Amino acid sequence: MLSLRQNADGRPEITVPTPFVPDLQPASARKRILAKVFGNDPNDLFDENGDSVIINLELVSPSVVDNIKQAERGALKIEYLMEQSPITRDEALTIRDDAMSNLLYKGTLVSEDGKAIALYIPIVAKTYSYNVTNLVEKLTADWPAEDQVHITGQPVAQDTFGIEMLTQMASSAPLAGLAVFLLLLLFFRRVSLIIAPMIVAIISIVCTTGLLINLGFSVHIMSSMIAIFLMPIAVADSVHILSEFFETYHRFRDKKETVRHVIGHLFMPMLYTTLTTMAGFASLAFTPIPPVRIFGAHIAFGVGVAWLLTMTLIPAYIMLFVPNQALDRIPAPAPDHKRRGLDGFLEKLGAFSYKRWKLILMLSVLTVIVSAAGIRHIQVNDNPVKWFTKDHRIRVADDVLNRHFGGTYIAYLTLTPDGLDTCTYVEALDSMADAARRRFAAKLPEQTERFIALLDAQQAEYRNRDTCDPDKYFVHLIEEAEKLDEAVTAPWITLSDEINYLESAALASPATLRAALPNAPAELFQGLEALSGEALREAALVITDEYTGLSFTRFLHEMRAEITAPPFKQPAMLRWTDRLQEHLAELPKVGKTGSAVGVLKKASYELQYIDPAGVPEELRPEVERRNAANYQVPESAAACGQVFIQLEGMKKKDSLFHLVTRDYRQANIWLQLTSGDNTDMASVVEATEEFIAANPPPVPMRVRWAGLNYLNVVWQDKMVAGMLSALGSSFVVVLIMMMLLFRSPLYGLLAMVPLSVTIIFIYGLVGWIGKDYDMPIAVLSSLTLGLSVDFAIHFLKRAHELQKKLGSWSIVIREMFKEPALAISRNAIIISIGFLPLLLAPLVPYRTVGIFLATIMAVSWLATLFILAALVTALRKWLFKDEASGLVEQNGV
Amino acid sequence: MKMLITTALLLASMNTFALTADEIVAKSNQAVRYAGTDGKSDVNMVITDAKGGQRIRKFRILRLNTGGGTQKFYVYFKAPADVRRQVFMVWKKVKRGQHDNRWLFLPALNLVKPIAPGDKRTSFVGSDFVYEDISGRALWEDKHELVKETGRHYLIKNTPHNPRAVDFRAYTVTIDKKTFLPIKAEYTDKNGKLFRRIKVVKVKTIQGYPTVVKSRVDDLARGTHTISTCSNVEYNTGLKEKIFTERFLRRPPREATR
Repeated sequence: MLSLRQNADGRPEITVPTPFVPDLQPASARKRILAKVFGNDPNDLFDENGDSVIINLELVSPSVVDNIKQAERGALKIEYLMEQSPITRDEALTIRDDAMSNLLYKGTLVSEDGKAIALYIPIVAKTYSYNVTNLVEKLTADWPAEDQVHITGQPVAQDTFGIEMLTQMASSAPLAGLAVFLLLLLFFRRVSLIIAPMIVAIISIVCTTGLLINLGFSVHIMSSMIAIFLMPIAVADSVHILSEFFETYHRFRDKKETVRHVIGHLFMPMLYTTLTTMAGFASLAFTPIPPVRIFGAHIAFGVGVAWLLTMTLIPAYIMLFVPNQALDRIPAPAPDHKRRGLDGFLEKLGAFSYKRWKLILMLSVLTVIVSAAGIRHIQVNDNPVKWFTKDHRIRVADDVLNRHFGGTYIAYLTLTPDGLDTCTYVEALDSMADAARRRFAAKLPEQTERFIALLDAQQAEYRNRDTCDPDKYFVHLIEEAEKLDEAVTAPWITLSDEINYLESAALASPATLRAALPNAPAELFQGLEALSGEALREAALVITDEYTGLSFTRFLHEMRAEITAPPFKQPAMLRWTDRLQEHLAELPKVGKTGSAVGVLKKASYELQYIDPAGVPEELRPEVERRNAANYQVPESAAACGQVFIQLEGMKKKDSLFHLVTRDYRQANIWLQLTSGDNTDMASVVEATEEFIAANPPPVPMRVRWAGLNYLNVVWQDKMVAGMLSALGSSFVVVLIMMMLLFRSPLYGLLAMVPLSVTIIFIYGLVGWIGKDYDMPIAVLSSLTLGLSVDFAIHFLKRAHELQKKLGSWSIVIREMFKEPALAISRNAIIISIGFLPLLLAPLVPYRTVGIFLATIMAVSWLATLFILAALVTALRKWLFKDEASGLVEQNGV
Repeated sequence: MKMLITTALLLASMNTFALTADEIVAKSNQAVRYAGTDGKSDVNMVITDAKGGQRIRKFRILRLNTGGGTQKFYVYFKAPADVRRQVFMVWKKVKRGQHDNRWLFLPALNLVKPIAPGDKRTSFVGSDFVYEDISGRALWEDKHELVKETGRHYLIKNTPHNPRAVDFRAYTVTIDKKTFLPIKAEYTDKNGKLFRRIKVVKVKTIQGYPTVVKSRVDDLARGTHTISTCSNVEYNTGLKEKIFTERFLRRPPREATR
């Protein structure tokens, strides 16, 4: 993978160990054709500069991650975990053991059971993940069967979804078209007639998809469903026209007259149903989620196109292409004609609605109450991996990897110092004075007082300054301290230096030492009597150390390192981060966490490690205890800084700076989650906030989350809020449209009843069955609004007209359940069936949409025919008061 | 007289012309790494990351030629504050199959730790220089070819005998014909792409030795660069070999501290 490059022919070339060009074409002919159709070139593994899309510098694999370990003679070895591919089993096991002994790699690179290894392949953009996956699969195709390769990750899931979505589109949309076609054929039994609505649907889909592509939008899970959505909706108006045309042709026996009649009284309801559908979808354009916006706006456009075509193309088509003879064969229904099938059933329904309206209303209210309770159980959750069915290879890989490793879902927690740096220098002077007293007061009381006076002077001078540059202050202090040192430590430093330089002849005995150092004070020679050689030198140096250690200059340098240390070199801050990680790791869905602190602890341990085998038996327990204790954040900022600077020089350059910024002011904690569900991520976020509230960090920190997994949480919140406001606003818009259409607030409200019941019922159902509220489900609300109000419009409009004509509701309702109810039912069936091919999809969101749309259609159909009929029956006094006399004016024709 | 000068010139040019790639590299190596019997310099490194953030490293470097191409280095850190008094020491070996000895002293942990022989192409204290840039790369490790010769420069291409041990496929060095100092080195990665470049910014003649006093290394893949500036350069200071021992790690010699 590292050697991936573009060869002279522009083909990918790989060197393992000699260059070769892998054949990346899909094995199956079907996939090859699909790849061709959708322009997916499996060789597309390079950016515009011809560079590999795999970010080599960021790749995580045994051959490129650092390993810090002990070598011979207590030396420290810094190398890659796998310097060379192992040849023997022992070599392989060494690599495994090295990885297992490093907490950074255990559960991340190597599974905790030692049986699986993970490579993390970073790519420049999500869109390449499918091709990279393909490349990995091709390169591992010849591996023995017992070595399994699983590939997963959010980008792979999303991109694979994208590609499979394309194949899905290619099969679902035609299937939906076929289903609609067959249904129309069943209803109208004349191919010549139903070709027209199919043309309408196809033209509107082509126009909409064309618009989408010409505007430069990429195809997303939402926009991929445009064709499937448009197909049934586009034919809906035609179905009304054709239904009406068939039912009334026998009255006119003339195409022109019939068309005129049909369009005449369907124009307004169709215009409004179109407008409401458009409003429902257009409302999605105001959600904060771009793919949903694009989806909504385009469907709205497509519905508009379909309406225009229906109003023009369908009549023209009937006039031109439907032969008169065919129509003449349609028998006029006998008055006592006994209706069977759908129409017979509808008539019975009508009678029931009229007679049992109280029961229906009661049941409706009950349904609403139960559903409303269900809504409270709704779980907002989304996880792209769950978009695949359980047996899909991505889902399987996800399962396997999350079982073996600390988790494949990565989130990052970034800690940034909160607000501006407050000047802590003045406060630090106090603690410096204390430390100085402790170190110097006993031996150098006089100098200590002078030193503290210096600190006090500094404090007085800087107390009221708002700018703060401790480095500057130290320069002055150090100059002063050098003067203090001059009297006491300087001679000892010179002496120490001299001893260090002494030739071995001078170390023969204390006497020769004394002779070599004529100016040395008597203190130096105390307790050296029995010594000679290097032991004598060492003992003498230990004595000088005591005095050279009393250097105010060195003290200030040490203090400076502590005081000016950035947050993530301060032991307190690092320990706090460690505690936060421990807390996070205890959460159920968190497999592992990692940060610069973990790296620091490991390096501190390895640097200070003493091999117990190399010390006498009796010292071993103590050495082992000390080794274990070194697996910690070092005691001082300087020590942390010195360990960190070793890590800056690791083999994988700058790998440390993925975890901490170069100035050590910000740090990253990465979390491996075993679940990609938003709800799990959200609970981790919550637990973190609780921990920080209860254990404030020593340096105030701002906490930010990042990573695809966290983005999904943010996105989910936006989605819920966005969908709610979209639903709310489109509800109001549709309500106003209804009031305008019917020129009556009461009618308007009435028209909203079936869809409201439907929406409440659907979301109640989602809540009760525990289906996660994800994006496709969220989009369904607006869809319901747009589609189910259509039924109500047709029902109420026709009821209103018939009432004007016939005058008595009991007669009207019988008429209503003939042709108008039939048209509504046909539409409901067409839309339901039209979406059913989605159930065959291997992608879960499509299935969800398919099932729920069918349910929505069924419910809103029932709600319209039952509840609306029952409500009109209940409210007829108010609804029809001005037409009470009946039989007044004729409408239309 | 005229004849003599012409002959001398001819001889000189013939002599130069006759240099093989190995000879050029050897002379260059001598010029840049072995000047005098010993050397001392204060180095200031400024590491600039891709976003412009800067970090500094200040250290004194002591070098002693110990014969047969071997050398000893003592690197004493002065800044940043937290690495003050840290020491890095090298006993450089040049014979085939021999490895340098390296030690580290971390004062805050009071720890002397030998570093096992291993990759010398890792970052030197977080800068864009690698350890090998500090102590030098053994000549036998690469195959040297004279690619180009101009009036002022030689261009040498160096290909490692063991490509697995290094991060580059090859590197070219431009060598000044007069001083034999390498003035530019360019490293290409396994795919033949330029990824690293060292350039000499300033050369100064000190005690008669042409000395690189400012150089810049660019990590082109990461967008970072480091500028190294030398000051207080001195040669032939009479450094004693004994200061390059473990004993002097904990108690640094006055040559390092003053």
